Amino acid sequence: MAGAIDGLGLATRDEVVRVPGATVDRVVTPESVDALGALVRAAGEDGAGLLLMGGRSRLDFANPAAALAIGVSTAGLSGIDEFEPDEGVIHAGAGTPIQMIRDTVAAEGWELPLDSAGPRSTVGGTIASAVTGPRAHAFGAVKDAILGLEIVGGDGAPSKCGGRVVKNVTGYDLAKLYCGSFGTFGVVTGAWLRLRPAPAARETLHARCASGGELFEAVRKRAERPGLRALVWKETVELDEDVRVLVELGGSPEGVAADRSAFAEVLALETASDDAIDLEREARAGDSDPVVMRARVLGTNAATLARVALDAGLAVSIDPGLGVLHAHGAPFSVEVLHALRTEATRLGGFATFPRLPDAWRSGFDVFGDPDGADVLVATLAARFDPQGLLNPGRFVSARRGGPNP
Amino acid sequence: MTAAETPPRSSPDDVPEPVVRPQVATRDFVEKLRKIVGAENCLAREGELFAYECDGLTLEPRRPLAVVLPQTTQEVSRIVHACRGADVHFVPRGAGTGLSGGAHATAGSVLIECSRMNRVLEVDEANRVAVVQPGVVNAELSTAIKHLGLFYAPDPSSQQACTIGGNVAENSGGPHTLKYGTTTNHVLALEMVLPDGRVARFGNRTGEGPGPDFVGAIVGSEGTLGIVTEITVNLTPIPEAIETLLAIFDDVVPACRAVGRIIRSGVVPAAMEIVDKRTIEAVEASVYAAGLPTSAGAVLIIELDGAPVCMEGEIAAIREACDAEGCQTIQVARDEEERLKFWRARKGAFGAMGRLAPDLYVHDAVVPRIHLPEILAKVGEICDRHRLKLANVFHAGDGNLHPNICFDRRDPDELERVVQAGEEILEACTAVGGVITGEHGVGVEKRDYMHLVFGEDDLEPMYRLREAFNPDGVCNPGKVIPTTRFCVESNPKARGYDEVPI
Repeated sequence: MAGAIDGLGLATRDEVVRVPGATVDRVVTPESVDALGALVRAAGEDGAGLLLMGGRSRLDFANPAAALAIGVSTAGLSGIDEFEPDEGVIHAGAGTPIQMIRDTVAAEGWELPLDSAGPRSTVGGTIASAVTGPRAHAFGAVKDAILGLEIVGGDGAPSKCGGRVVKNVTGYDLAKLYCGSFGTFGVVTGAWLRLRPAPAARETLHARCASGGELFEAVRKRAERPGLRALVWKETVELDEDVRVLVELGGSPEGVAADRSAFAEVLALETASDDAIDLEREARAGDSDPVVMRARVLGTNAATLARVALDAGLAVSIDPGLGVLHAHGAPFSVEVLHALRTEATRLGGFATFPRLPDAWRSGFDVFGDPDGADVLVATLAARFDPQGLLNPGRFVSARRGGPNP
Repeated sequence: MTAAETPPRSSPDDVPEPVVRPQVATRDFVEKLRKIVGAENCLAREGELFAYECDGLTLEPRRPLAVVLPQTTQEVSRIVHACRGADVHFVPRGAGTGLSGGAHATAGSVLIECSRMNRVLEVDEANRVAVVQPGVVNAELSTAIKHLGLFYAPDPSSQQACTIGGNVAENSGGPHTLKYGTTTNHVLALEMVLPDGRVARFGNRTGEGPGPDFVGAIVGSEGTLGIVTEITVNLTPIPEAIETLLAIFDDVVPACRAVGRIIRSGVVPAAMEIVDKRTIEAVEASVYAAGLPTSAGAVLIIELDGAPVCMEGEIAAIREACDAEGCQTIQVARDEEERLKFWRARKGAFGAMGRLAPDLYVHDAVVPRIHLPEILAKVGEICDRHRLKLANVFHAGDGNLHPNICFDRRDPDELERVVQAGEEILEACTAVGGVITGEHGVGVEKRDYMHLVFGEDDLEPMYRLREAFNPDGVCNPGKVIPTTRFCVESNPKARGYDEVPI
């Protein structure tokens, strides 16, 4: 097997990790950025593809991998190195569990505006996959939480972008490219993140109601309430008359009360457990159905897309204010997925498939078409990872036929 | 491919031989441009070009070869093709209010000014989305949608004049970024003419897509990746209640500390701005007088917005924080008139400081907020040492300071001291973990200071991004990144950004 990687003398352990299209049987855990850089350079000499892993909760969300030589865990780049409670910023290594940061900052009255699921989710994995949860209403996108990143590039060179301050236009905003590109433009090794003050009061509510477009629209319009943190509408075809709505509110006690009143105008609200939104977030990620879709369309079109998914026998969990729709189930054929994607695109958005049967993956990009910029996708990939070492094949760039001549 | 075959990393040796570009517009070339945009939208005579020698950065004016004012995306594309055919560089420009020279013409380049592409193309009220052309003036968009109960949140100080296209290039901020974010948080999709003349669309109206976040990378790229020709933005509901407070302190240090206390209290104000003593004196002596006591050492303006029921509690929290830092007085604006008066102390500062000297250099840097008091002391010390008049207004909640240095450019010695002091201020800010610009951009002004924040390894991916879009460097050359592999205009040894005389 590969020469240069073995020549580094890094401790590897035998472990089989399967991802769509490939399997690795060894995993290495670099203990420093320099060690990771050396590993990427060695992989370049060997022409060896690297499988990048954080908390491993999103390994299925991938196009079939090109040849992989070894798995690389970021667990050795873990820990909170700086936390300034007076400033509301924190720096952590890529392998740091998100939950560890949540707990650390909560003790000082702050909140980490990242809503990724699962106890193992890491800083690096959350940034690489740009996965948001139901609290995106309050938290925004993953990219909004990033102040600065440290990266190891496709040439093994470490670099940084952004910084530790909350407002910064010094140079290109490269963090935007690294966030959500699944490590294919560079491996995130550490991040400066911005925190937000934890709300003084918080309340979680739920309601059961009948399915219906008018009620859905009335609920959706209330997503503008200033204290709204999460709003979820759950519906399945079997339980057509039994929609469940979850609402999480936060802010001053007066603000929360006013927001609750606004929702009470259209829903019979009851108090839910404090972790109802967390449980919903985990459920979306942990679902074991063969197909999981995450789509986003214009808010006014969310109900239309939901109808298509329900008609295909899928259960849906919608964030009406965001136009985000999670659907899961066991559709009859890949044609259903094509139809859902076509509809999502027609409705102004896109559909991705975090889980898919392996047999359906060939010829079907789980991410979809990256707008009209496909040539630039290949050009960027060729410049940031010219040898295709970092998660080769995984991201949309794989379908673009190589570098721009 | 082996490691030895990977593309070479940049080094000064990679800079090619200088290419001397046309120094005056040839008749044929100008005729081509006129055919594309019409004679009335093409300026090439000496007198017409005078106003286009610089943007808001007046330190190093440069005259463009010609100025074209296209009205459609297709015209922009054809201009780009014409420039390429004539081996002429081009520079996109909005209203020219930028403060870092991002829209300065480089040697023998054509300015493509988008101010006549100024239509609001569509407003989707239900989804709170607007599609605009790049020349729409920032404040005019908010005016156009006010009747829908919506506004466009980024509010740079120049919002009455600056264009949204220019805001996209610079990732413009403003006083209310503390709560609402900067331009990048509000741009959902873009149409852009690439430097090779092709038209590309990035993003969609949801603000999220399945591929790389090109929109995020383009916003703030200072027009070096292409010419944005259509912008889809999100709109924000006008808050039901707005409260503006004005707290007066003996000194800027307790005012900064009060800002820290407010943030830790859990209240997120829409804006927190500090005006220092020298600025107060200038404002009060000007037409912008806000009735501030000139004995004040610092004024902190705080704006709250949100649900009416929340205002009382938030005002109480702010009073408590300011009292804890010994503020002299704290006032809540009683009506809109008083609110605007409070803001005049801040927004009128630039105009008022015109009274202090013929020229004003508006600096821009960011430090971690906890370092604000020590940095302000340091900035004062630097300007005193260089015998320069200084006034400070700054976005205290963001740690974004704007030292304003008053000078007279006719005095070459003073001009030199301004440049020197500016450099020392940036060094002081970066020494505590800050950056060299928070909202004005790098442009030509700060290009040669990028090394204070970034090493060569950090700049390398920036070259790669630019080269992916702009491989031969024809679009807005010599901006943002200090040295390049293709542009002779950016000689790191020269303070100026081009060496070829026009």
